[in-house]
Amino acid sequence: MTPWVLVGVPALAALVGLAVRADDRVARFAAVAPGGFTLLVAVVGWAEADGSTLTEGPGLRAGALAVPLDLVLDPTRAALATVVVLVALAVQVYSTWYLATDDRYGQFAATVSLFTAAMLLVVLSADLVLTLVGWEVMGWCSYLLVGHWSRRPFARRAALKAFLVTRVADVGVVLAFVGLAAGATSTSIPDVVSAWVQPTDCIDAALGQGLYPSEAFAACSAPDGRLRAVLLVLLVVGVLGKSAQVPFQDWLADAMEGPTPASALIHAATMVAAGTVVLGSLYPALADSPTARWVLGVAVSVTMLFAALLAFAQSDLKRMLAWSTVSQVAVVLSAVAAAPPEAGPDAGLLHLFAHALFKSLLFLAIGWAALAAGDTAATALRGSAGAAPVLRSAFLVGFLSLAGVPLVVVGGLSKENVLAVSWDGAVGSDGPGVLVLVALVVTSAVTAAYSVRGYLVLTAHVRRAPSAAGVTAAVRAVLWTLAGLTVLGGLVVLTGAFTVEPMSPLWVLLSVLVIGVGVAVALRGGLDRDPAEVLARRLTPAADRGLGADLLYRRLVARPVLRLARVVAFVDTEVVDGYVRAAAVGTRAAGWAGDRLHRGERPSAGVGLVLAAVVLLGLAGVLAWS
Amino acid sequence: MSALVTVDPLVLAPALAPAVGVVLVLLGDALLPRRGGGRWALPAAAAVLVVGAVAAATGPLRAGGATLRTLCLPAPDGACLWTADPRTSALQTGVLLAAAAALAVRHDGRPRPRDGAVTATLLLAATTGGVAVAAARDLGSWLVALELATVPAVALVALRGTRPAAHAALSLLVTSLVSFALLVLGAALWLTATGDAAFASDTAGLAWTDPQRRAVLVLALVVLVAGLGFKLSLVPFHAWTPQAYAHADLGTALFLAAASKLSAAAALLVPVSALAGAQIGGLAPTAVLAAPALASLGLGTVVALRQRDPARLLAWSTVAQAGWVLVPLTAPTAEGLRASAAYVLVYATATTVAFAALARTGARSLEDHRGLVRRDPLAGGALALALLVLAGLPPGVVGLVVKVLALAPPVAAGLWPVALVGVLAVVVGLAVYLRWFAVLLAPAPDEGGARPARPRSTAVVLVLGTAVLALTSALPHLLLGSLG
Repeated sequence: MTPWVLVGVPALAALVGLAVRADDRVARFAAVAPGGFTLLVAVVGWAEADGSTLTEGPGLRAGALAVPLDLVLDPTRAALATVVVLVALAVQVYSTWYLATDDRYGQFAATVSLFTAAMLLVVLSADLVLTLVGWEVMGWCSYLLVGHWSRRPFARRAALKAFLVTRVADVGVVLAFVGLAAGATSTSIPDVVSAWVQPTDCIDAALGQGLYPSEAFAACSAPDGRLRAVLLVLLVVGVLGKSAQVPFQDWLADAMEGPTPASALIHAATMVAAGTVVLGSLYPALADSPTARWVLGVAVSVTMLFAALLAFAQSDLKRMLAWSTVSQVAVVLSAVAAAPPEAGPDAGLLHLFAHALFKSLLFLAIGWAALAAGDTAATALRGSAGAAPVLRSAFLVGFLSLAGVPLVVVGGLSKENVLAVSWDGAVGSDGPGVLVLVALVVTSAVTAAYSVRGYLVLTAHVRRAPSAAGVTAAVRAVLWTLAGLTVLGGLVVLTGAFTVEPMSPLWVLLSVLVIGVGVAVALRGGLDRDPAEVLARRLTPAADRGLGADLLYRRLVARPVLRLARVVAFVDTEVVDGYVRAAAVGTRAAGWAGDRLHRGERPSAGVGLVLAAVVLLGLAGVLAWS
Repeated sequence: MSALVTVDPLVLAPALAPAVGVVLVLLGDALLPRRGGGRWALPAAAAVLVVGAVAAATGPLRAGGATLRTLCLPAPDGACLWTADPRTSALQTGVLLAAAAALAVRHDGRPRPRDGAVTATLLLAATTGGVAVAAARDLGSWLVALELATVPAVALVALRGTRPAAHAALSLLVTSLVSFALLVLGAALWLTATGDAAFASDTAGLAWTDPQRRAVLVLALVVLVAGLGFKLSLVPFHAWTPQAYAHADLGTALFLAAASKLSAAAALLVPVSALAGAQIGGLAPTAVLAAPALASLGLGTVVALRQRDPARLLAWSTVAQAGWVLVPLTAPTAEGLRASAAYVLVYATATTVAFAALARTGARSLEDHRGLVRRDPLAGGALALALLVLAGLPPGVVGLVVKVLALAPPVAAGLWPVALVGVLAVVVGLAVYLRWFAVLLAPAPDEGGARPARPRSTAVVLVLGTAVLALTSALPHLLLGSLG
């Protein structure tokens, strides 16, 4: 029952929130109270979760296809659900202050609730149909949230861009789900996985009996490896779109046009994380397909480095955090791509958990700082952390975590885990481990560098620190809680929710070395100057434009599609419609001719017609007779 | 058997009621010529017709769904001059109610006092013929009843007394005479072929097995269809239709469009059911029935597209709909007969409502109906529903149902050309009726002048007709179940 409560309460809260959106006070209550209740249920569910429990849904049958609509709860999913609910609740509490004067606060809060419900559905789903429902609802909600300030043209464009780019990639998800479900004749994820994994034991036994490989495959009814590769690559494409990975990376930075709480939600716990959750639930099938893992590995390796470099050079600190999200989600996915099959996706999911905590902290903190400073540009935000002690602590903990300083805070622990796992993958299997490992090491250095940059800029000493007037105690409490959890969140490994291999101290040493290099590079200009100005002054304008990816989208996708549309429209209006119009003209002409024929209206005309018809019919009769 | 012929007055009531009504109206007019300004005749006639309709509608219930027979001869066994199965009873009910509706509309048209009794007599006489022809199975009754149903209609058209009306009546008279000649010839040929003075399946089946007699039978069918084609307004026997509709008063036009078409279809079903009972099929009967059907569908629909006068538009729509009545008969089966009867009943109801709405508004062009739904919701709404039923568009679901039923027998028999022309006629027909429908919904023009009088009896016709269309649209099996 617990999973349905977890999904149902936020969904209900969204409905209620929409109904009471006119009254801000009621809307606030309808947003925060169900969030608190859901958090309680999630924590209790996590505490009680023992192994994997399937909650049966209202099963359907569509011909040969079984659609059970089950939900599932296990410790890993419970932990992820808890962090999703926690971040959503933090965002809801924060929004009551951040959007207090917004005239569309009610809609925003209801959308956040719906978004939470959709993400929880993806996390807890044991059925491809439910996953798809959650996936698409999230896409729609992200459109609404990014475009919340729809009176601004930039916000409208960013929302449309996010929607279009993710929709294009979603084609891959839909095709992959259809293909996977068709192969398994069921949409249940456990059935799909068992239908598409390589029956290795059976094949080994058959080969041991002296069968040829092809016979062994047929005897064990192994799935078609090529089809599996195609379907999983399609799924990876969809995941790349939702998680803003190359080549779909550009929408996420533009999505900064939305309100900061929405950014925190999209970046930390929901939208971009959904792809990892889906790949994690289909992991055994993915592990058997080197092609799909290579596609994923190459894409995320390019993305993590590319996005980290762009993050370093951004002139706008909120966009810097956006690019860091792209880079960090790439790190998460790299663990899924490169881990050896026996390790499973847990290293990636652990980093996802950690990232959700520290990224929501950073976003909420920078939203406050930006409100105090009046802008999100690095020059404006300089020294804005002086507004409140909690900001200083939040930035310290958050950036330490982002940089991955080992064993101090949650981010460090999980990142070392990713490194260790991809090393295992690099030495042990045919996945893209080596490539991922190299990219991870370089990215760690760059990440450390921009973390240092962010901290230096935000906490620089300025003569007049901005004031923090009007901030409610609840917001301070949210930030303190998130900061505390960022420090202590690493303890989650002790609960056993994520399977973590014991780690060699060598990795800690390597991490410290790499991070040290990054910090040293960032500090070349001294403590008082913005490292980006020292190191990447030339790159900054290009980086602000995302290296022209938007232009590339327009040139390579939008323009050809529009041209094709014009050709199709021309063929439709000028060629196809021509026949239709000609038919209309012909019909009207026939009507005119018939009308003319009957204009006389003399009795003789009628009699003539009748007689002519009788003669004709008589002739026909005589001919038939003879 | 004591008497020479058995007579069951209750079974005969649908035809007896209007016949008795004729006598009553003539007696009343002779005894009290000026009573009530002569306006009592029409309501009295309408009441008689409703009584007859109730008798016809309850007939199948009384018989428990079996065939009602009376006027049976001692020999040969089972030769009854009046044979009414549930389908026949339904058609008779339709004829009687349509005639009553025509009387109601005519009543509101304020006929000259001296015309009242004449109109009532003529209408009742024509109705008697129309009801009797549906139940007639022998050639003699069939011919006499059919002629009784036709000739008074000529007088009704002429009664208006205008020059165009006289022309229209003359046109009607000439074509009806020619058609009667054809019908007599056809009956004679049928008798020659089958050696039976009744439309019976067994003798027709025997005649069909002999090649010589088969040719005569085909020729008989050809001539009979030609003769009935005049009454049904089938192309090429349709020329009188637009003229008569446009120049007669609307009550008479309603009678010609609804009651007269119902009785003609009932008359046609008599020989065709004999063919269907003998399972006579093949190229010749199909071609004889399909040729006028397709020509009517094509010409009627296409010319209706160009009409501006609503009465003429309805006239050409009648031509097209007559084609639809024939479409299911191209494959003569029991289902085809049923579909044909269902189609003509739905068409007659819709066209009754349309003419009643026309009579209420008094409009002489489509443009005059602009914004009618807002100006006069009763007439506008009823007319809109009737047009949708004629076009076969939801919410006029029953129009769609009967069109599908009509196309089913030819499709089942593999007569694809018939089905194809039917589909094309549906497409063009949408344009025909939606052209008018769109005007109804358009914004109303600024109204100047006094509102026209709102006659009461036409309103009753509108309400009842719309109720029937709406009810059968919601529950089409009510209509189909009543046809057996």
